[in-house]
Amino acid sequence: MTTEAPPVVAVDRPQDSAPTTGVRAWLSRHPLAAYAIRRFGLYLVELWGALTIAFFFFRLMPGDPIQTLIQTLQQNYIYNQQASAEIIARYQHEFGLDGNFFSQYLKYMEKLVLHGDLGPSLINYPTPAQDVILRALPWTIGLLGISAVLAWVFGIIIGAVAGWRRGKLGSSVATNLSIALSHVPYFFIALILVYVFAYSLGMLPARSAYDSRIEPGLSPDFIGSVLKYGLLPGLSIVIIGTFSWILSTRMLMVPVLGEDYLVYAEAKGLKGWRILTRYALRNCYLPQITAFGISLGFIFNGNVLVEQLFNYPGLGTTLVTAIQQLDFNTILGVTNIAIFSVLTAVLILDLLLPLLDPRVKYWK
Amino acid sequence: MSEQAVLEVSGLEVTYSTNRGDVRAVQGLDLSVRRGEILGVAGESGSGKSTLAVALLRLLKPPGKVTAGSAIFHPKGRSPVDLLKVEGEELRVLRWSALSYLPQGSQSSLNPVMRVEDQFRDVILEHAPQRKEALSELIHRLLAQVGLEPRVTRMHPHELSGGMKQRVLMAICVALEPDLVIADEPTTALDVTIQRVILQSLADLRDDFGVTLMVISHDMGVHAQLADRVAVMYEGRLVEVGDVHQVFKDPRHEYTRQLIESIPRVGRRAS
Repeated sequence: MTTEAPPVVAVDRPQDSAPTTGVRAWLSRHPLAAYAIRRFGLYLVELWGALTIAFFFFRLMPGDPIQTLIQTLQQNYIYNQQASAEIIARYQHEFGLDGNFFSQYLKYMEKLVLHGDLGPSLINYPTPAQDVILRALPWTIGLLGISAVLAWVFGIIIGAVAGWRRGKLGSSVATNLSIALSHVPYFFIALILVYVFAYSLGMLPARSAYDSRIEPGLSPDFIGSVLKYGLLPGLSIVIIGTFSWILSTRMLMVPVLGEDYLVYAEAKGLKGWRILTRYALRNCYLPQITAFGISLGFIFNGNVLVEQLFNYPGLGTTLVTAIQQLDFNTILGVTNIAIFSVLTAVLILDLLLPLLDPRVKYWK
Repeated sequence: MSEQAVLEVSGLEVTYSTNRGDVRAVQGLDLSVRRGEILGVAGESGSGKSTLAVALLRLLKPPGKVTAGSAIFHPKGRSPVDLLKVEGEELRVLRWSALSYLPQGSQSSLNPVMRVEDQFRDVILEHAPQRKEALSELIHRLLAQVGLEPRVTRMHPHELSGGMKQRVLMAICVALEPDLVIADEPTTALDVTIQRVILQSLADLRDDFGVTLMVISHDMGVHAQLADRVAVMYEGRLVEVGDVHQVFKDPRHEYTRQLIESIPRVGRRAS
């Protein structure tokens, strides 16, 4: 054999032809920072756009909330006298409904952005709408947030194993069960759970968020009661969610199992679980992260049904009550929370994805 | 070079079951690989040479099935085993430390989401955890052996060219100084200048690490340049085995002669 050494392979270095000083130069030297700044700017624009659309959308809805309020007051306090124009004007000012749309909008944005103030809630007057929302928010995050995360984690794990062991009995059972159950309406499972555990067995409560005889606080009794009351609504979300995540994870997993690098990993003599996690799952879970971010938005849609069904004091119940009473400020507030969470989740995911998968690159 | 065999294959039969009947991809194959040699396996597409490789590596997937034969493997410091019978943990431990695999670099055999160094790290630590201390030096040395700079360790596969990927795979396959490396089309889909460099590196690896190489290739030019002995397969059967000079000079089988004739030469036109 000849002794000629193989030449050292040179790797192309990116050519810097950009200016060497100033902001532009700094940005061209730090593409990741430049990307993050640009992405954050886009986020602010999206946020502003969505909040603005939501504002005008609700302002253009038919119905007069002040009239509704006055009627409610009349019914409740047997207040027979016709509301004077003065009272109506006062209320309109209180609720930010005076003047034209544009001046209403400016006042609304100023209060929202500078003070985080949504104005008073109509049905809980004079409590500010943000207080009504903040009171409900922990319940929603606690119940739906935790359930959604649990469903995702269980779904990914079971789905990955089901894909990995495809053709085996356990995998077929999990897969077929998922196909059958992932599209069953949520409330159907909830009703079965309520029937079995709350009605027939009487083991678990089916309504409310905690035992009203216990003083709310950080006591073990109260926490235990919250967990107990949250079990049925939580379980019904976790079950349906898990099955749909199983199905999608398995579908992502199976094509990856045919890849050359899986054959290579097997030839390397690595342990099965390591091949499953580092080679198979690591290459297919990325779409599930994006899907999870998007599914967070559905927490704010889907929760209406869950919370109504279990009479849970979360955002969904707040929203339904607010819509029935035309409580503009609260409706807008809940909508804003949904807008904010989805946009923020997508922002975080966009910034996170390049770290999770080296092939993802948004910047040049 | 000792004449002791590192692998003795006898009566190997591999069948693919299809719904139009069985296809016998490898039939009654007897072959021995001597320690320290480079054995070329030649043959056209569909001759069964790749099936032979995956069967020996135990990477054969259904509907492929080994229906008969044995492949006695003699790893250093271990008792001989039949590669076709060994199962489970015993097989897993044998892999890479005794029997490793060099796939085609144009295939996506490297995990796209792992850095090059981690693809060395996992297999080395799996089979030789005691090397943890000097691991990065070992990886740098292995990469230098195939002509790659140390900073390749921090790169991901999509940042490497086809030739670089092939070199990384070569460095990984000798990391644990296995008794036998089975290379499946190591130069296919690379341009001819890189092919030459890869072949040279493979020859150097044999000289430096003393590994035994079984090189599967349809390209007779590869065998002429690299192999000590050549085995020629045709329609699932071994038609000829012999010293590379002897086979090229005086092919005994008509098919071998045709294969050698098929090497393109400058100045000769296809008729």
